[in-house]
Amino acid sequence: MKIAWIACGALLGTALFLTPAAQAHHSNSAFYVTKVITIKGVVKEFRWSNPHVWVILTVDDGKGNKVDWKVEGRPPGILERSGWTPKSLQPGETVTIDLSPAKDATASGLIARVTKEDGTILSNAPPPTE
Amino acid sequence: MKLQNTLLGVIAGAVMLQAQGAPPDFSGVYYPLNPFGAFRGGPAAGGPPPAQRQGPPPRPTASAPLSDGSRGRTPDEPLLTPEYMAKWQMISKTRIAGTGEYDLTAKCLPPGMPAMMRMDYGMEVMQNKDKITFFGELNDALRRVYLDGRKPSQKVLDDPTYAGYSTGHWEGDTLVVDTVALRDNTFIEGFTPHSDAMTVHERIRFKEPGLLEDTITVTDPKALTKPWETVKTYRRATREKGNDELREFACPEGLGEAK
Repeated sequence: MKIAWIACGALLGTALFLTPAAQAHHSNSAFYVTKVITIKGVVKEFRWSNPHVWVILTVDDGKGNKVDWKVEGRPPGILERSGWTPKSLQPGETVTIDLSPAKDATASGLIARVTKEDGTILSNAPPPTE
Repeated sequence: MKLQNTLLGVIAGAVMLQAQGAPPDFSGVYYPLNPFGAFRGGPAAGGPPPAQRQGPPPRPTASAPLSDGSRGRTPDEPLLTPEYMAKWQMISKTRIAGTGEYDLTAKCLPPGMPAMMRMDYGMEVMQNKDKITFFGELNDALRRVYLDGRKPSQKVLDDPTYAGYSTGHWEGDTLVVDTVALRDNTFIEGFTPHSDAMTVHERIRFKEPGLLEDTITVTDPKALTKPWETVKTYRRATREKGNDELREFACPEGLGEAK
């Protein structure tokens, strides 16, 4: 299956040649939160856990290499109020993830939003309280 | 006639009690009006559902508010003495470098007072005559405010905690709370440091039905050049909106995965 990069920065290019990050509990300061890159791939695992949910996304770099991106999102409590459920993502489905890359240049990041193949958008925050 | 008079007396008494101000009931689940600071996450995060949009939603430009101090401090943040400003700058450097060594919540520790009253996620208030309890969804942070007239003992003062020790009383429809015995490794807000001399004063009231307002004054003669005031506002959730149940946070679940 050919999976295209939608956006690819220099940092992203570097990240592809490094080992994927160990799964860890991160401070937001571990990410370039005001930068957003986009990756597309196949969900290998979706972990609905506190204090962050995790998506392991297998991404084809276009050169025959597959890289497992480890992407973290906000806690289940917040995401539930944003329309997510523990079954929002299924292994094997193709999704596009907008994310802020990790400062350590590993294949990891912080979710800004997830877009499913049918166009459904899973955002990372509930609507603002009025 | 006699019974009538008695009944009238009871009703008049009840009305008078109400007029004298039976305290309001703050119990309920709330969400802050400005969660994640001023962050809105872009139109994709929290915008109208796809059917109501014209064209595809714009791409988000951020995943979270910048919180590393790289843009300096804003005038509405606490004014720090040189010693504590140096401490803030030191922590800022670690955050810009991408480490979370001073990030308490990333270690599943509670944010502590007064930072916890930002309630970036959800808040649940439980109230009775003698005590009001504030529960923050973020890291299951809890604080109790004693309303029965007790005062912090020397034992309490010698044993600082994240939430500190809070006592309160009603002034009309406003709950006035004083908090002491706070640990000095927490932050006032963000990663603004404070000393062991910090105390927190709050005035909490319904600004309008369902809209709770907490006016917080932080005093710290060692860390602040003058007391700092901030106002937090929270909207009460309702069963009709389906948002009146907070999910458990159980932060250490994720610590086990840390490598």
